[in-house]
Amino acid sequence: MSETTFTVPVGPQHPALKEPENLMISVDGERVVDVKIRLGYVHRGGEKAFEARNYTQGLYLVERICGICAMAHQLCYANNIEALLGVTVPRRADYIRTIIAELERIHSHLLWVGVAGHEIGWDTLFMYTWRDREVVLDLMELATGNRVTHATNAIGGVRRDLTPEMISQISKGMRHLEERVKYYASMIPKERTIMKRAVGVGILKPQDAVALCAVGPTLRASGIKRDVRRDDPYSAYDEIPFEVVTHDGCDVAARVMVRVGELFESIKIANYALEHLPSGPVRVRVPINVPAGENVSLVEAPRGEDIHYCKSNGTDKPERYKVRAPTLANWASVATMLKGGYVADIPIALAAIDPCMSCTDRMTFTDVSSNKMWHWTIEDLRRHSAKWHGK
Amino acid sequence: MAWEVAVYNLLSVLVYPGIIFLVALALFYQWVDRRFFAKLQNRYGPIYTGPGGVLQPLADLIKLLAKEDIEPAAVDKPLFKAVPILLLTLTLTALFMIPITGPSALVWFEGDLIFIIFILSLIAILAFLGGWGSTNMFSTIGGMRAALQSLGYEVPMAVSFIGPAIMAGSLSISKIVEWQSSTAGYWTILLNPLGFGIVIVAFLAELERIPFDIPEAETEIVAGWQTEFSGRKLALIRLTFDLELILASGLIAALYLGGPTGPIPLIPGIVWYIIKTLIIVLIFANLRALFARFRIDQMVSGSWKYLVPLAIVQIVILELLLR
Repeated sequence: MSETTFTVPVGPQHPALKEPENLMISVDGERVVDVKIRLGYVHRGGEKAFEARNYTQGLYLVERICGICAMAHQLCYANNIEALLGVTVPRRADYIRTIIAELERIHSHLLWVGVAGHEIGWDTLFMYTWRDREVVLDLMELATGNRVTHATNAIGGVRRDLTPEMISQISKGMRHLEERVKYYASMIPKERTIMKRAVGVGILKPQDAVALCAVGPTLRASGIKRDVRRDDPYSAYDEIPFEVVTHDGCDVAARVMVRVGELFESIKIANYALEHLPSGPVRVRVPINVPAGENVSLVEAPRGEDIHYCKSNGTDKPERYKVRAPTLANWASVATMLKGGYVADIPIALAAIDPCMSCTDRMTFTDVSSNKMWHWTIEDLRRHSAKWHGK
Repeated sequence: MAWEVAVYNLLSVLVYPGIIFLVALALFYQWVDRRFFAKLQNRYGPIYTGPGGVLQPLADLIKLLAKEDIEPAAVDKPLFKAVPILLLTLTLTALFMIPITGPSALVWFEGDLIFIIFILSLIAILAFLGGWGSTNMFSTIGGMRAALQSLGYEVPMAVSFIGPAIMAGSLSISKIVEWQSSTAGYWTILLNPLGFGIVIVAFLAELERIPFDIPEAETEIVAGWQTEFSGRKLALIRLTFDLELILASGLIAALYLGGPTGPIPLIPGIVWYIIKTLIIVLIFANLRALFARFRIDQMVSGSWKYLVPLAIVQIVILELLLR
């Protein structure tokens, strides 16, 4: 660090980040010179906790990884365990899962558009989109009984069927939301103060996006057409027609437009699934013990590709469960986006990946000088704490 | 009867239209601003304290006054203590030069318009000093932004003030108001629409309001230059912002809308004053809901690219019209 730069901490407590993460940003005046990212403030030991719970209990633990993409994580978990069991889920359950997953995507993207407005100081947009988000939250409550952490999935299907009244309510809500999203889609590109703050900010070139393993809307806004729903369909996505929205702007404005475009697609998918909902049961019974094996499942969460890995050993508890939430994949690209930009652009560029910290935190140590990486078990932590306090 | 005059003058300064009245009006306008802003954003705003929530700003002020006043060890103590007091007193001084109850203000002299411009610059410099004295990273950046921002808005604002002064042939705010209310005069906004717009924009920046709340941008630098201030000091700073709002609206009303005088006789000046300043406060609140925050470089370059040339064009047009 030269004499002309000084370091501004963003986080762990900072109004721009609602969750505790730390970015040490070296600035020269208003310009960002370097970014160091430090994760790990909300590590909760989730992966270890899976090993102590049976598969049904894990179902409810997994959706607590993230309050916003609860459905995506739970769906990924359910797919994983069902694959290990070799169970095929009834078609109606697949469709219901798809509907709830898309409602969740609408909820998450509306929330994000509002947060983006807040980060650039335009709270009016925040208030408007969060009001519309209430509609979709109410629909989710109607369909599943809960606004967030819906617990819709069971291993082998869904917990609750959709009644005809629910279906008509949801399509009514979708019509309302479509009107609202049309309004945002026409207003945002014309609103000059937003565009002034979003165009050319937080550039992530397509080759960088691929090299840094960006996922989800962040990747698609760099013009790369990659979506788990299309590339490796799960649930009912193989039967439902939809477009993968991309944009070649590579900046924050492109990420806004991709998410607004995805809102339309999600409404389309939900409507199609509601209209073509097959009849039949919504759940099959499954054995408690899962045969030994390994499986990886992928789900396109609102923030991007969510990867779950499970290793079972024939008992009712997993031997190892590993989650790679989408935000972790996007962190590496954040540093690239921020470098060379302005201090004023940090919040919006950071928010543009739609970060979800608690999904992400890991207890992994990396020694940069020797390129070594290791994990600590609870025993190591205990020993370390004894040594630390004993000195 | 010297003592009666003295008592009258003292009451004018302390009660009406002096400090107590101004503070009450400032808190009332804060409520108007918050309620209107909330309505535009589809919210309620303050509604619980007092009738319609009108006492909420007073409750907020008392709460802040009662809170612990923390002075971090690293701050520049004298500067840190002086900034809130100086801010408040300077703003009140400027307010005494704004006509409120009648055509002439409590204090007026030839050239008080220049003096007001000087005080407005001092307020921006105090914001910078407050940020600098806090020795906090966020405060320092916020203070620098406040100083940079003042480079952007002060010149177009001062140039625009020339318009009404030329028309009235005086550099005194009270004289300008008198000219507008006299039989020969008319509201200067008729020939100065552009200048009026520029002054509104410049005061948005002076008041650190969206889209120019750059020095205190919450999501970027916490509370900017105010980050380290707490308790009584923060209360004084907040009160200063409210008083600055009536200073801005009063000054604009005096210079462009005829101040506390109106076309219908018998209605007292204070009513005109409140009607006109309320309209300006509502304009401010409306603009606040419409925009996203600019970046500091965009603000300064935009100001020099558009506001300054437009302000000069306004003066040229005015000269041609008056010829």
